[in-house]
Amino acid sequence: MMAANNYFGFTHGGTQYGAATASAAYGGQTGYAVAPAATAATYGTQRAAATGYDTAYQAAAATQAAAHAHAHAAVAAASAYDASKSAYYQQAAAAYPTAAPPQPQPTYDASAAKPAYSTPASYAQGTYSQGAAQRGAAAAKPAYGAVYSATTATASYPTQAYTATPAQTQKQTTNRGNTAYDTALYNAASMYVAQQSKAAPGTGWKNYKTPGTGQPRRAKPPPKAQQLHYCDVCRISCAGPQTYKEHLEGQKHKKKEAAVKLAAAGGGASAAGGARGAAGGALRCELCDVTCTGADAYAAHVRGIKHQKVVKLHTMLGKPIPSTEPTKVGGAKKKVAGAPKIAFVSSGGLRTVATDPASPSAPSTAPSTAHSTPHSPPDKEKDEEKEDDDAEPEVQPVGQDYIEEIRADDGKALSFNCKLCDCKFNDPNAKEMHMKGRRHRLQYKKKVQPDLEVKVKPSMHQRKLAEAKAQRMMVRDELWARRRMHDVYGQGIEEDERMYWEGGIEPWWRGPHHHHHHHGMGMGYGRRPETSDDRHVLTKHAEIYPGDAQLQHIHRAVAHTERALKSLSDALADSARQKTVPAKTKVDDKKDDKADGKEDGRDNQLFSFLAEGEQAGSTSTAGDAPRALKGVMRVGLLAKGLLLKGDRDVQLVVLCHDRPTVTLLKRVAADLPHHLAKVKGPGDEPKYKVELLPAEGAVQVSDAHVGVLVSLTSAVVREPADGGDIKRDDKDVLPRQKCLDALAALRHAKWFQARAATLQSCVIIIRILRDLCRRIPNWTPLNSYAMELLTAGVVQSAGAALSPGEALRRLMEAVAGGLLLEHGPGLRDPCEKELVDALGNMPPQKREDLTASAQQFLRQIAFRQIHKVLDMEPLPKAKHATGAWKFPRKRRRSNTDNEHDAPNGEGKIVKTEEKSDCSDTNKK
Amino acid sequence: MVRGIGRGGRGIPGRGGMGRPPFNRPRVLMLRPPFDLLLAEPAFPRCKPAPDDSVLTQALLKRHTELCPSPTDQAAVLSLVTKLQAVLDNIVVAPGEFAACQLEEVRQVGSYKKGTMMAGKNVADIVVIMKTLPTKEAVEGLSNKVNEEVNTLMKAEGSGAVVSACHERGFTVTGTSAAVRVLITTLHQNLRKIEPDVHLDYKVISSHLAAIRHSRWFEENAHHSSIKVLIRLLRDMCSRHSGLEPLTPWMIDLLAHHCIMNNPQRQALPINVAFRRALSLMAGGLFLPGCAGLPDPCEAAHSRAHTALDLAAQDLAAATAQTLLRVVARGGHLYVLGLQPFEGGKDISLEITVWDGVVVSPLAPAYNDSPEPMDTDDKDSV
Repeated sequence: MMAANNYFGFTHGGTQYGAATASAAYGGQTGYAVAPAATAATYGTQRAAATGYDTAYQAAAATQAAAHAHAHAAVAAASAYDASKSAYYQQAAAAYPTAAPPQPQPTYDASAAKPAYSTPASYAQGTYSQGAAQRGAAAAKPAYGAVYSATTATASYPTQAYTATPAQTQKQTTNRGNTAYDTALYNAASMYVAQQSKAAPGTGWKNYKTPGTGQPRRAKPPPKAQQLHYCDVCRISCAGPQTYKEHLEGQKHKKKEAAVKLAAAGGGASAAGGARGAAGGALRCELCDVTCTGADAYAAHVRGIKHQKVVKLHTMLGKPIPSTEPTKVGGAKKKVAGAPKIAFVSSGGLRTVATDPASPSAPSTAPSTAHSTPHSPPDKEKDEEKEDDDAEPEVQPVGQDYIEEIRADDGKALSFNCKLCDCKFNDPNAKEMHMKGRRHRLQYKKKVQPDLEVKVKPSMHQRKLAEAKAQRMMVRDELWARRRMHDVYGQGIEEDERMYWEGGIEPWWRGPHHHHHHHGMGMGYGRRPETSDDRHVLTKHAEIYPGDAQLQHIHRAVAHTERALKSLSDALADSARQKTVPAKTKVDDKKDDKADGKEDGRDNQLFSFLAEGEQAGSTSTAGDAPRALKGVMRVGLLAKGLLLKGDRDVQLVVLCHDRPTVTLLKRVAADLPHHLAKVKGPGDEPKYKVELLPAEGAVQVSDAHVGVLVSLTSAVVREPADGGDIKRDDKDVLPRQKCLDALAALRHAKWFQARAATLQSCVIIIRILRDLCRRIPNWTPLNSYAMELLTAGVVQSAGAALSPGEALRRLMEAVAGGLLLEHGPGLRDPCEKELVDALGNMPPQKREDLTASAQQFLRQIAFRQIHKVLDMEPLPKAKHATGAWKFPRKRRRSNTDNEHDAPNGEGKIVKTEEKSDCSDTNKK
Repeated sequence: MVRGIGRGGRGIPGRGGMGRPPFNRPRVLMLRPPFDLLLAEPAFPRCKPAPDDSVLTQALLKRHTELCPSPTDQAAVLSLVTKLQAVLDNIVVAPGEFAACQLEEVRQVGSYKKGTMMAGKNVADIVVIMKTLPTKEAVEGLSNKVNEEVNTLMKAEGSGAVVSACHERGFTVTGTSAAVRVLITTLHQNLRKIEPDVHLDYKVISSHLAAIRHSRWFEENAHHSSIKVLIRLLRDMCSRHSGLEPLTPWMIDLLAHHCIMNNPQRQALPINVAFRRALSLMAGGLFLPGCAGLPDPCEAAHSRAHTALDLAAQDLAAATAQTLLRVVARGGHLYVLGLQPFEGGKDISLEITVWDGVVVSPLAPAYNDSPEPMDTDDKDSV
C-alpha cells in the first residue's frame, strides 16, 4: 500500500515537475547535479583509502560515484543516471515525462535501498518539484545556485533548512526523503564513513566512531573497537570487547537490529508508522529512544534510573546530551545532534533550501540552531499530528461526577470506580491521571459531552480501514458511472420488454400471472400494483361471475323474446292499421324493418319497435293510430351486467303507448308463443313457456334455464291521475304500482349505465356485494338499487380510480362510519324528482346490524382477513409478484459484494444491468 | 460498452429476474384516505331532514365546561412553571459551577402550552434540551439543582416547598397543587450517540424532541378554540374507554384538528358535527393499517400518526370507536361523554345495550397474531 502511495506521490511530483518550465528545471538541476558530484568526488578518493568495508557497498558506491562524476561533467547527465536507474522502478521512469530530468530516479533508488546518495537526491527531487510549483521558474534558479554553494560549504546547513519546511504540502516529500534516508542509513553505512572522513580530513574512518563527532547515533555502523564498547543500536555500553561481542551476537541485539533494518528497508513510512504508530502524539526521549505516552510519563522517565544511566553513559562518551525537553513524536524529531558535517546531510540540505527560498542565508546558520536532524524518520500522519499536539493545551480532567469513591467504613477512600470507563483505581493520583487520560476522555465524549475535544490517534488499523474505504469508493464510483451508461440505453430495452408483455400479444399461457385474465373484463387498473386484497376480490369475483353457458342461455332467451315482441308489435300495429289505412303502412313497415339494423336490445338501450317513418310522436301522423307496444328495454341485473352465477331471472320492460291494460297483456301472452316460435326458427332447442302474470302486470317467458319477465308499462302512468282517464280504465288497467316500478327500473338501468358502469371497480364491487347480500343475513335488507347507489357514491367520491380491493374497503369504511345510520344523509335517489331515500324503509335494527357487520368486515380487511369477508380460502401470497424476482435479486446482490474486485468486467456488467432494471422498476 | 455484452444472458432461462415481466414491480404503497362523509358530501346529498343535534351540542358543551381546569388550578400551574422556567433559563445562561450537564434550551410543551389542559391534571411539561448527553447522572444532577433553586425561590416567596423526583423521562417537580414534568432530551446530533444503559432511553428522548415540534405546530395551526374544545372532549372520552386509551395526545390533537378544520370551506365546523365526524372517522378505519390515516406534520414525509400504536391497539381502538359510534347514533352520548356513568362505571364500549328496542353490541377484535407475518406495509411508516 505504501509503495503504491509512493508511486502515486511520485507521479504527482513528476507531473509538477514536468509542468515547470524546462529552463527552470534545468537551472535547478545544474545545482543539484553538481552537489552530489562534488561530494562524490571527494569520497571517491576517500574510498580508495578506506579498507574494503563492504564489498557490496563499495560496488554500489562506485557506480554511484561514477554516475555523479559524470553528472558533474555534463549537466544533463541522463545517461549516467540511467545506469543506476535502469535496475529500478520502471514505473517511476514511465511516470516522468521525457522533459523531466533524471534526478527523480535516485529517489526511488533510495527507497530501493542501495546507494546512499540517492537519499539526498530524493530531497532534491521533492524540493525541486515543490519549488517549481511554488515559485516561478525564475526563482528556482538562484535557489539552486545557493544550494550548490551550500553543499560544498557546510554540512550543518541542511539540517536547519530541513526544519524550516513546515508547509503542509511538503510533508509528503519529507517523508519520502526520510524513508529513503533510513534505508540509506542502514544499508550503506560505508558511504557515510567516506563522507565523514572527508569532512574531517586526516582521520581514518575509524575516527568516525570516536566520540565527539556528534553525528546521529543511529547513523553509525556498529562500532567495532573502542575503549568504551558502546552499542548504538541498543544504546548500552559494554564492559569489554568480549561482552560487546557477545552482545552483538546476542539475540536481543540482533532482534533490535533486525527491527531497525526492517523498519528502514521495509520501506518507509509504513514500517516507521508501524513501529511508532502507536505513539502518535506521544513524547519521546531521544536519548533513550523511549516513547512516553504523556507528559507525566515522560517526566517519570526522565527521573527514572534508566534514563539517568544513559545520561551518565553519554556524558562519559562525550556524546551530546539532548535537553530533557521531550520530543514530540509527531513532529520532526527534536534532537540537538552534533552538526553532521557529512556530505550526505548537506545534500539533504539541497532540498531544504529549495523549499525555503526565502532564506538563502540559511546555510550560514550555526549548527546549534539546527533544530532537527533528518535522521529520525517522522512519518506521514505523525507529521500531520504535529500541529494538534502543539496546539493541545494541558488537558483538564473531566467527568468527576462519574467517578465513585468507594469508602471503607471509616470513610476513608479506598478506591475509585469510574462509571464511564468501568475501571477502578486505588490511588487518587491514578484517578487524576485517568481523568485526564485519553480513554476516559473518549468515553466522556461518547457518553456525556459530545463536543469535548479528544485528540485523535489514528491507528494503523484505522488508517488501513480508511484506505480500504477510499478504494471501495473508487470502485463504487466506477460502478455508478457504468450504471449510468447502462441506464441510458437500458431504457429502450425496458420499453421493448414492456410492449411485449403488456401489448396486445399477451400470452396467457405464459405463467401464473393470473390477474391478467381480468384484462378481458375491461378493468385495467393501469400500473397500480395489485395488492392481496385485489387478488382476493378478483378471485372471488371470478368465482361468482356467471359462466359462459349461463350467459349464452340468458342472452338467447332474451334476444328471442325481444324479437318476438317486435314481431308481435308489428302484428298489432298492422292489425290496427288495417282498420284505418291498410296498404300503405305495411309497405313502410317492411322497409323500416330492414333499415333498422338493430335486431334486439343487446346494447341495453331501448329497443324501439317503431320504424323511422313513424317517429315517437306517431300520433302526429294524421290518422295513424299509434303502436300499442312502442319498444322494449332490458332492465335490472341484465341491463346492469350484475348477473351472478345462478341468477336465472331477468327483466324486460315493454313501453306501451297508452296505459297497459289487462286486455293488452292477455293479447301479448296469447300471441307471444307464436311469434317466439317464428323468431327462433323451427326445430331450435329451447321450448319457451309463456305465462300470464296479471298481478305483476307482466308475462313470464321461460325455458329450462332462464326466466324472462316482460313487464308492460307506459310513461303515461306517471302522470298525475286526474279524473276520467283512470276511472275509465280502472278495472282494465294493470296495477299502477307495478307499472311505476317497471318505469323506475327503466330509469335505474339508464342511470346505472350512465353513472355507475363507467366507474372503475364499481360493477365488480356491486357483484361482490350482491354475493354478500345473498350470503349474510345482515346485508340482505340492502336492496339492490340502494346498493348500487351506495357503491357508486363511494367509488365516485374517492376522486381517483380505485382498485377492486380498495373500492371494497372504502365501501366498508363508509358503512362502518355510519353512513347508513339514521342520522346519516340517506341515499338520495337520483332517478326521482323529489328527495327520496332509496333506503328509507330500512328499520333501525337492520341499519344497526348492517353497520356493525360492515365495521367488523372493515377491520378484517385491514388485518388481512379479506377472505373471511368474502367467504373464501385465503390465497397464497403472490409468488410471482414478490418472491420470484426478489430472490434472484438478493442473490445477485450478495455476489456483488464478493466480486467487486473481479478483474473481468463481465460479472459487473451483468450486475449493473440488473440493478438498472431494478431501479427502473422501482421508479414506476 | 457494447450492447450485446450488457444484455448478455437475456433470454437465457433461469437467470433470475431476466424474464421478469415489468408489471411485477415492487409494490408502491399508495394509501388512501378513508371515506369521510363530510368530504364525500356531493356524492351523498342529504335527502332527509338533518336530525336535531342540539341535544348533543348541549351535552358536549356541558361536558367541556366540566373538563376545563379552574382558574385557581391554572394559576397554580402557571406560577410553578414560571419559577421553573426562570431557574432553568438561569442555568442555560449562567451555569456557574453547575457542571452535571450543559443546557441548550428550555421549552414549554404539552397540554399546558397548548391550552388543552384538563381539569384535575395540573401537570405542565417542560422540555430541557441538553447540550451534553443525557446520562442518568446528569438528570439527577439537574434535578437536584432545580429542586434547590426552586425551593429557594419558594422560600423567598413564602409558599410551600417542592419535591423533585427523577424518572425515566426526566424528573417531576411537584408542588402543593401543581406539578411540572421536566422532560430531558438532547440535541439532534447527539441522538445517535445514545446508549441504552448509560443514557435515558432513545425513544423517550426523541419523543421529547417531537413534543417540541408538536407544540410549535399546534401554536401555528391549531389555535382555534373549537379544536381545543374537541381535544378535551376526545381525550376525556378516550381515557374512559379502554380501547381508546392507547391513543396518544398527539394523535388526538391531529384528529381534532382534522375534524374541525379539514373541510371544503376551511371554516371551523360546529362541535357536534366535528365530534360525530371524529367518531365516524375512527370507526371508518382512520387509524387502521392500510389507511393513509393522518399524516404527521412533524415527522418526515409520509409518516402517519397512528403508526405509534401496535396492530392490536389499532384494532381495539377502531372497534371501540365503532361501538361508540353506534351508541351515540342511538342517543347514548351522555354515557359516551361521561355525563352519566354507565351502570356503575362500566365501559359502555364493551357492553351490549338496548336503545328503543335496538340492540347495540360490541364487536370482536379482528386482529390475531397470525403465524404468517402480516406483510404489512403499515406498521413501518415509510
